[in-house]
Amino acid sequence: MIPKLTDDAISRLPLESGRAELLEEIMSTVAPDRQTEPLANPAPRRTRWVAPLAAAAVVAGLAGGTLWWQQHRPDPDGSRHAAASLGLSQGRGIVLDAPGWQVDSLTGDGLRFHNGGADLEINSYDAKDYDSYVVDREHIVDPPAPGEPITVLGRPAQMWAYSADDHTAIREVEDGHWLEVRGSGMDRAAYLDLLGRLRVVSEHVFEASLPDSYVTENDRQSTAEEILGKIQEVSGAGFPDGTAAPSFAQGDAKDRYQFGAEVVGAYTCAWLEAFDNAKTHQQAEQAAEAARVLGTSRQWPILQQMDVDGDYPEVVWDYADQVVAGQVPQGYREGLGCP
Amino acid sequence: MALSLDERERAFREVYAAHFDAILGFALRRVDRPEDAGDVTADTFLVAWRRLAHAPQGPDLRPWLYGVARRVLANHRRGERRRSALGDRLRRELSTHVPDLSDDVVQRADVIDAMRRLSARDQEVLELHLWEGLESREIAEVLGLATAVVRPRLSRARTRLRELLDNDPSPPGHHLSDRPAPLTAELTRKER
Repeated sequence: MIPKLTDDAISRLPLESGRAELLEEIMSTVAPDRQTEPLANPAPRRTRWVAPLAAAAVVAGLAGGTLWWQQHRPDPDGSRHAAASLGLSQGRGIVLDAPGWQVDSLTGDGLRFHNGGADLEINSYDAKDYDSYVVDREHIVDPPAPGEPITVLGRPAQMWAYSADDHTAIREVEDGHWLEVRGSGMDRAAYLDLLGRLRVVSEHVFEASLPDSYVTENDRQSTAEEILGKIQEVSGAGFPDGTAAPSFAQGDAKDRYQFGAEVVGAYTCAWLEAFDNAKTHQQAEQAAEAARVLGTSRQWPILQQMDVDGDYPEVVWDYADQVVAGQVPQGYREGLGCP
Repeated sequence: MALSLDERERAFREVYAAHFDAILGFALRRVDRPEDAGDVTADTFLVAWRRLAHAPQGPDLRPWLYGVARRVLANHRRGERRRSALGDRLRRELSTHVPDLSDDVVQRADVIDAMRRLSARDQEVLELHLWEGLESREIAEVLGLATAVVRPRLSRARTRLRELLDNDPSPPGHHLSDRPAPLTAELTRKER
C-alpha cells in the first residue's frame, strides 16, 4: 500500500527528469484539438452555454430519438428544406434522430450526446472565430491541410480525423454562427452516419422533443408549483407560517432530478428551520406540526420519483426520521444547501 | 488569427507546471503501485494537451483535470488501457522514490481503514474532500453531478465516517501539509 502522500510531499519527490521528459513527450504528440485562445477568455464555456442556446444557435437533444421522431416527424421534404435554408436561425433547434443516443449534458462544453462508449459533442461559435478555428484544425494533419469536404445539416463542412475513432467537423457560418461537431468512440462511417441523423426542427418541435426529465426555463415555476402541490396533498401543509414559498422561475437545474432537489429542498429546509426554531424556543405545538409534516416525506411523490435515480431522498428521509424522533438533525443546512 | 504552436505550448506548460503535483498526488493516493500513478498522470495530461481549449480556466481547471484523471484511472482499473507509451522515466523514478517516503501522509491509517468500510460512492466523495481538499461544488465538477446531489452525499458520508471513528479518541495523525485539511479540523469546522 502506498502511503497517502500530500501534494506538498509529492512536490519534493526527486522526479524532475521524469516530469520534464513527460512534458516534452506529450507536446511532441499531435497538436491540441483547440487553439488555446479560449483559455484566455474570462468565463469558462460551460457557464455560458445556455445563453447562445436561447439567443440563436439553438441546439437540443432528443432522448430516445427515433421513437419520438417517428411519432412527430414533420413532412420529410419540408423539414429537410427547412434545415438547408434556415440552419440555426432564431427559433430553430436540432435533434438527434438515432436510437440509443441520450443527451448527456446541456452544460459542460456544450451539448453532448452519449451512447455507450461513444460521444457526439456539438458546440456553437461566433462567426468571427471561424477562420482561426479552421486554421487550427488544419494542423490536425501533418502537413496542415483543409478538411475533407462533407455536408452537415445541409451546409458545407470540413472534416478531420484525430484518429480512426475520433473525428471533428466544422460547418460553415450561418446567421452569424457556426458549429463544430465532434464524434469520439466511433469510426468514420458511424460518425458520418450520425451527422446525417441530426435534424433541424422548429422551436415548437424542439420544445416538444425534450424528454420528460427536462424542465425548460418557461416551465420552471409551474413545474415547481405542481411538485409542491402534490407534496401538499400528502403533507396537508404548504410552507410554514411566516415563510413565503420562494420563486423557482430562475435557476440552474435542467433535469427533473436536479430540479426536484431544488424544490423539495426548499420545502424541507423551511420545515427543518421551523422545527429547529420551535425546539430552540420550546414551542411544542409548532415543533409537533413540523415533525408531522416531515414525517410524511416518504409519501412525497417527487421524492419517490427521485429515489429511482439517486440518494437525495434518503437524506431527506433520514433528517425527517431524526425530527420525528425529536432531534434537530446535525448539519442539515449544509446537507441540503439551505439558505 | 490562430495561435502559434509556441503559444499553445506555453499555455500547456503553465497548466502542467501548476497542476502536475496535484494530478500525480491524486493518482498516487489511489493506485497500488507508484509506477501506475505515472501512467495515470501521463494519460491525464495527454488528454489535457489534446483538449486544451475544452479546459476551463481559473479555479475550475483543477476539478476538470481531476475529472479527467478519474476517468483515466477507471480505465486503468478495468485493465482497458495499455501501459502508456509516455512517461517511462517518470515511472522509473516513482518506483524508486515513493516507497521511501512515509511521513507526509494526508490521513491516519485508521481513518483510511474506516473509509474503506463506506460504500464506494461515499468513499469517492470523501476522498475528494479529504485528500484533494475539494468542496461540494468542485466535487460535483469532478464527478459530473449537480452540487445538489453531491452536497447531501458528502454530508452523509462524513457523518458515517464520524460514526465509524467515534470509538477512537486519539488525536489526528501527523500532517505536514495544510492541503488537504486534516480530517478532525474539517469535521470540527463544518459540523460543530
